Amino acid sequence: MAQITEIGNIMIQLHNVSLAYQQDASALNNITLKIAKGEFVFLTGPSGAGKTSLLRLLYGALTPNRGQVLIDGQNVTRMTPSQIPLLRRSVGVVFQDFKLLQNRTVFENVAITLEVLGWGRADIGKKTMHILKQMGIESKYNLITQRLSGGEQQRVALARALVNDPKILLADEPTGNLDDANKNQILNIFKEANIRGTTVVVATHDRRLIEQSHKRLVTLNKGEIVEQVEKTTTGDDQAL
Amino acid sequence: MNKWKKQQPATIKPYKRPTLSGDGFGGRAGFFLSRALTNIRQNVFVNVVTIGTITLALLIVSLFMLIFVNLESAAENWSERVQVTVYFDRELAGPEQVSFREKISALSGVSRVSYVNREEALKRFKSRLKGQETLLEGVRPEVLPTSFEIALKRTHRDTVSVENFVKVLKRIPGITEVQYGEEWVRRFNSFLNFMRLLGALLGGFLVIAVIFIVSNTIKLTIYSRRDELEVMSLVGATRFFIKAPFLLEGLIQGTAGSVLSVTLLFGLYEAFLHNAGSFLTFNPTTSGLNFLPVEYIAGLLLAGALLGFIGSLTSLKRFITV
Repeated sequence: MAQITEIGNIMIQLHNVSLAYQQDASALNNITLKIAKGEFVFLTGPSGAGKTSLLRLLYGALTPNRGQVLIDGQNVTRMTPSQIPLLRRSVGVVFQDFKLLQNRTVFENVAITLEVLGWGRADIGKKTMHILKQMGIESKYNLITQRLSGGEQQRVALARALVNDPKILLADEPTGNLDDANKNQILNIFKEANIRGTTVVVATHDRRLIEQSHKRLVTLNKGEIVEQVEKTTTGDDQAL
Repeated sequence: MNKWKKQQPATIKPYKRPTLSGDGFGGRAGFFLSRALTNIRQNVFVNVVTIGTITLALLIVSLFMLIFVNLESAAENWSERVQVTVYFDRELAGPEQVSFREKISALSGVSRVSYVNREEALKRFKSRLKGQETLLEGVRPEVLPTSFEIALKRTHRDTVSVENFVKVLKRIPGITEVQYGEEWVRRFNSFLNFMRLLGALLGGFLVIAVIFIVSNTIKLTIYSRRDELEVMSLVGATRFFIKAPFLLEGLIQGTAGSVLSVTLLFGLYEAFLHNAGSFLTFNPTTSGLNFLPVEYIAGLLLAGALLGFIGSLTSLKRFITV
């Protein structure tokens, strides 16, 4: 486990968090976890281990039955429904199924994040094209997302999540639908975002992805943390 | 708890916030409106279905209202026949006639009092027996009674009021024989009440059905775009920000639907109903049906707009969950 003692250095903190969808079946059981600012963490474990539930807690889509969830010092469990949107503006989320608006263009899908913040048209245009360029899909800005390949769609989803320079990037099985080449591209985007200071949490059961990244690994099983492995950020990362 | 709350503004605010598309309500309203219009353009089929449903639903309601309003006005006309007659077996001399007329007019509920002398009575009798005037040969005006015909105000034409009026009338000294067609008044009023009850029931069911159909249609259109609601919510849109364009869209759909239905109703009226008098003699004074009064039309337009707005509002409540 990370040796974090300084409170101000922690981005995500779960304290004795328990969550149950139904009374008898608990999804998360007494989870305590700290993730530092700028850290890159993989969450892994078999299906139903609680990875998705844990991520959902972090962007305020679920409230735990017990325990506290703190994001950058704010207690998410005590937020009112009107405060949740403000939390989400500093948290980018991507999913296995991308959750893109299929009948909108790439540009519109990414711009929505900035429209929500009330940005002006010109600034939205500049910032959106900039992030699309970073993702390597700027030439497809005017295409309907339906027409894109899986890898391209995930990059659009990532652009949408990152265009606002969030403090945290959460990813739920982001490479589940992708081939190896695309997996590597997506992983590189995560790493780049992490280098720029974004705290990244990726839930995946893709062993290869985890092994080649040399990052901290938290393993869940049946709603509990069963193993935490600290990986050194050397080797492959240097080549990035 | 306060410790975390205090930190919130500093940490949650996006650290970079360039020029906004419009501060305050005005700027945002423009954004929401353009958003709503874009949504309508991008979802033409769904919008056509919704507007069509609202149009048809309101057309049914407005047709019902048209018929009901005309039946009511026909009933009003028929109720003119509710009349109380006071008979005398002698011709009333000038001063006596005036004094009776004054006494009767002083009673509440009286709208008009007219004296029918013997000559007038015979004339009416004759005109009623047109073609068979020979029956009246030898009949002299003296055998006919004279009378006061009393027309009642609209509010005093129901059975109970008429009966009360007759009671009071009989208290005037000198008045003994009063007729008012009890049976007819009773039947007419019970028919009127039945009609109103039926109208209220049918109208009530119709309105409930319309609300149900329209709200379900809107629910489906919003359901078909729930991914959009989810994405907006994910990127940190407030509930108001997500809802506003949809509510405006509902408002536009409702208004368009009601305008269309009133236009269609007017078209139908002009084409078929305005001269329906040839087979529907509801109203003896005018031939055919009258179009809806302005306040009803205004009511329909408002109802359409509200239907769209509230339909969207309640549907959104169900789908904004993330």
